[in-house]
Amino acid sequence: MTAPIATPDIDSDQSTALDHPWKVIVWDDPINLMSYVTFVFRKVFGYSEKKANRLMLEVHVEGRSVVATGNREKAELDVFRLHEHGLWATMEQDS
Amino acid sequence: MPAGFRPRFRWKGDQVIVDLPDDEQQILAHVLVQLRELVMGETDPVLRRLRPTARPDDDEAETAYREMVDNDLLRSRLEAIETVEAGVGGTALDDEGISAWLHSLNALRLVLGERLDVDLVGHDALQDLPDTDDRVGVFALYEWLGWLLEQLVAAAAKGLARGEH
Repeated sequence: MTAPIATPDIDSDQSTALDHPWKVIVWDDPINLMSYVTFVFRKVFGYSEKKANRLMLEVHVEGRSVVATGNREKAELDVFRLHEHGLWATMEQDS
Repeated sequence: MPAGFRPRFRWKGDQVIVDLPDDEQQILAHVLVQLRELVMGETDPVLRRLRPTARPDDDEAETAYREMVDNDLLRSRLEAIETVEAGVGGTALDDEGISAWLHSLNALRLVLGERLDVDLVGHDALQDLPDTDDRVGVFALYEWLGWLLEQLVAAAAKGLARGEH
């Protein structure tokens, strides 16, 4: 019997053509001002006021909204920036 | 606008001038000290609102994410608080300064909102509290910060419209 071979460390962060994109989701909360949320979407994503407002209303009315998609690294950065602004954001892989 | 209203934030050239009356300066300075202590203490449960979950589906991924960002979030918060404290008495804000004020005013609201349990108690119930209730002062502070934040957001949004991200 030979010694066990260490499994190569597959970097699961590598985005490949087969990777599904990641979704960045913002959740409603009772504290954040609607005007502030709209502003954050414009600032962080560069969205127009119209788009940012639509997403904010979706968060407000539906409880959540997918505000961006991208690879894992981008999603993590987006979530971080949204958290920095005090929004509640999560990320999940598109299924 | 009532005669004599003093805009707390107004554009002058490419900067936002902060101009708070003395009593508001004192209140803000006071709560910023408390916010810093809270943030540095890192243990108060209200802080969970400042470090929300990123990966609710995956504990391991969440742990990895927290390890990756919590120090940066903490540092960012403390730097923002420092920037605001330096400018409470009056200052001109560039883009970074505006962000620091937005983040800090919002963080203050989040912490106070958590304390008041806005989620559970409800905004309307908090507005109807009898004067004798302990929470009346905190809620007034919460409302005032919201008012201040609305003004800064309005000013900052004008800056975006100009393309001054």
